[in-house]
Amino acid sequence: MSRPDPIRKSSPDTKKNPLSTEEQLKQREFQDEAIVHINALYNYALHLTLNPHDANDLVQETYLKAYKFFGSFEKGTNCKAWLFKILKNNYINRYRKNAREPGKVDYDLIKDFYHTIKDTRRDSTETETDYFHSLLHEEVYMAMQSLPEEFREVIQLCDIEGFTYEEIANMVESPIGTVRSRLYRGRKLLRVQLEEYAKKFGFNTEKDR
Amino acid sequence: MKCDKARELMSAAVDGELTNRENQAFTLHLQECPACTAEFEEAKKTKQIIQEKIVRFKAPQSLINSIMELSLSGTKEPSDSPMID
Ligand SMILES: [Zn+2]
Repeated sequence: MSRPDPIRKSSPDTKKNPLSTEEQLKQREFQDEAIVHINALYNYALHLTLNPHDANDLVQETYLKAYKFFGSFEKGTNCKAWLFKILKNNYINRYRKNAREPGKVDYDLIKDFYHTIKDTRRDSTETETDYFHSLLHEEVYMAMQSLPEEFREVIQLCDIEGFTYEEIANMVESPIGTVRSRLYRGRKLLRVQLEEYAKKFGFNTEKDR
Repeated sequence: MKCDKARELMSAAVDGELTNRENQAFTLHLQECPACTAEFEEAKKTKQIIQEKIVRFKAPQSLINSIMELSLSGTKEPSDSPMID
């Protein structure tokens, strides 16, 4: 994101006056279009960083940047997708160095993280499935975290955030065909993991319960 | 349609991302292929499990407040604000 700043065209009187009408309009638009997605962004940031403090910073930076470049956001397109892309870029620039290697999972870290965060505010729909419903949130979460990043990412964007393939392709900068096959393979891998958890904890995976 | 083509379309079928034509061919294949049908059902359930079991965390109120402030202060911030690029 290194586009020229479209906003700070210095008009002489905005310095003294609190805010121009144009600026006020932009603020209102920004709140309606962008800030409404703050929970989804925070949730995504948390899953990326595994750390509430970093997630906080990441979301702040994302909104700072988004506000600055709000003029370049194409109206009528999905603002949530636009924000996710900014967040992802910020994450890569800032945290990627320390990121886990794909396939290498620190389960203790994830478990700790999960338990510290579990009792804070959350938003889950607790409906029973006929299948694997004995699996706990934590186990599904761990299974997700065990996936290589390229798979975990598309599953998260698709199943948790509900983005279309086109939006995901744009976010991960890959063709739609790649998104399709990553989702296919990722879900298969996840499936294997879930079955292992179910077995490990003594659940019968063949039948319901 | 062969099984490997059906598998290529599997995720898109789960997510409702097939074109009409693909959807027809895919459905036709499922009717004659129990293996792909089973896999399709499993993939749908896997998606369902993720949707139901993954906890979505809400942003802390302090973060929401500071973002609101940020947008309200608008461009009054100094031009050398600590942007990270
Ligand atoms: Zn088949």
